Amino acid sequence: MPPTLNPLDLVSKINRDVERSLLRARNGVRYVRGSHAPTLGATPKEVVWRRGKAELWRYRNGTVKYGPPVLIVHSLVSRSYILDLRPGNSLVEYLTAAGLDVYMLDWGVPDELDAGNDLERYVDFYLPRAVAAVRRESASDEVTLMGYCLGGVLTALYAAGHEQAPVRNLILMATPVDFDQMGAMVAFLREGRLKAAELVDDTGNVPADVLYRGFYMQAPTTEIAQKATLLDNLWNDEFVESFQAMAQWSRDHVPFPGAIFRQLVDELVRNNVLMTGSIRLGDRKVNLADARGNVLNAMAERDGVVPPAAVEPVMDLIGDPARREELRLPGGHVTFGTGRSAVKHTMPRLAGWIIEHSDELPEAKEW
Amino acid sequence: MSAKPLWLRAVYRLERAVGEPVEAAVRTETYFDLMTTATRTTKAVKRKVTGASTRALHLANLPAGTDLQRMREQLARMERRLNQLSEHVEELD
Repeated sequence: MPPTLNPLDLVSKINRDVERSLLRARNGVRYVRGSHAPTLGATPKEVVWRRGKAELWRYRNGTVKYGPPVLIVHSLVSRSYILDLRPGNSLVEYLTAAGLDVYMLDWGVPDELDAGNDLERYVDFYLPRAVAAVRRESASDEVTLMGYCLGGVLTALYAAGHEQAPVRNLILMATPVDFDQMGAMVAFLREGRLKAAELVDDTGNVPADVLYRGFYMQAPTTEIAQKATLLDNLWNDEFVESFQAMAQWSRDHVPFPGAIFRQLVDELVRNNVLMTGSIRLGDRKVNLADARGNVLNAMAERDGVVPPAAVEPVMDLIGDPARREELRLPGGHVTFGTGRSAVKHTMPRLAGWIIEHSDELPEAKEW
Repeated sequence: MSAKPLWLRAVYRLERAVGEPVEAAVRTETYFDLMTTATRTTKAVKRKVTGASTRALHLANLPAGTDLQRMREQLARMERRLNQLSEHVEELD
């Protein structure tokens, strides 16, 4: 029997389509005009310490129920607002709402002044001072350190290279250690190809657009599918805002300081030195196994930027073997900050692990 | 959730049909070598053009971009030195 058409259903379908077409037109004009850009990094915060371009932000929360405070150390190649992208879709917001005292170390936008910043500058200068500022602000003896991507390498080196590092927990999110497994991301920089100096511009840094091109060329045609998905969902304000936020972040790279880039290429990419379990920092040798605290190695199973194979050896190298744990998450590189999978899997599991390895404060503090 | 419309599924299929070989191509050694050569060539050409325009501007007694860049570098060096000194002072305090 042929399906019968209910006139009421038909009217409601026509109504819906007309309404969506109007919304599509309105949002399409807004999108093309570039107005109504979403607010990014919206969780209220205060700058509590700064040095050079680096700033330490403390997020306003309401009630802090657990300690020690959590210090997130962002990568050097992208903007930190990926971890606080939009309300309802933000790792920072999730952690603060869970009762944690959250800080972010943001590196700012490097220029000529930062061209000489090397690994030692980040690991031995900025990080100890930022950690001290967190302890001072929160009146805490220890911190939980969370490093994202290259920020994970910095935090691991800090936790391993400073005997007195007051690290209760060390969470490494998409942190590469085996650079032989980094694939196309670093293939241009291998022996016989481009030298670090060839990518550095007149400011002494690697320009942001070089980094952007590197990421873009990983999947140059996916933008077409993304734009088509946007067109289909253009009626949906929420979808359009998320799309704009993500699109802005993925284009918004910052220059990479030349000195640390040279070390990255020569030591980490070409010599794959982290896989030896140690690295020279200044005049001393830092053993990764000396890293303080409980180590959580968090990786995203579909990470195309830092593939799991580049992250897995953390379990053999960093910190005390008895205090290492692994967390495998569905999703890609940005699942640590945003996305449906982040809200469903990443954020609850990270927050749960931190709380499990923290203390409940005798008295909840308002902040 | 409603099913994706036919046109969108067609775009996805088309994008993958083109995207997969492109992604495979940009992961080959040939591509990496080609891009290395292209980057070096572009840089060499830029250097030559900058050199020529700098000489022309200097002939007319005008400052070139490279002169301004050198000044910026010198200023950055000075500012870095000042920062180092103020850091030392802070550490002493």
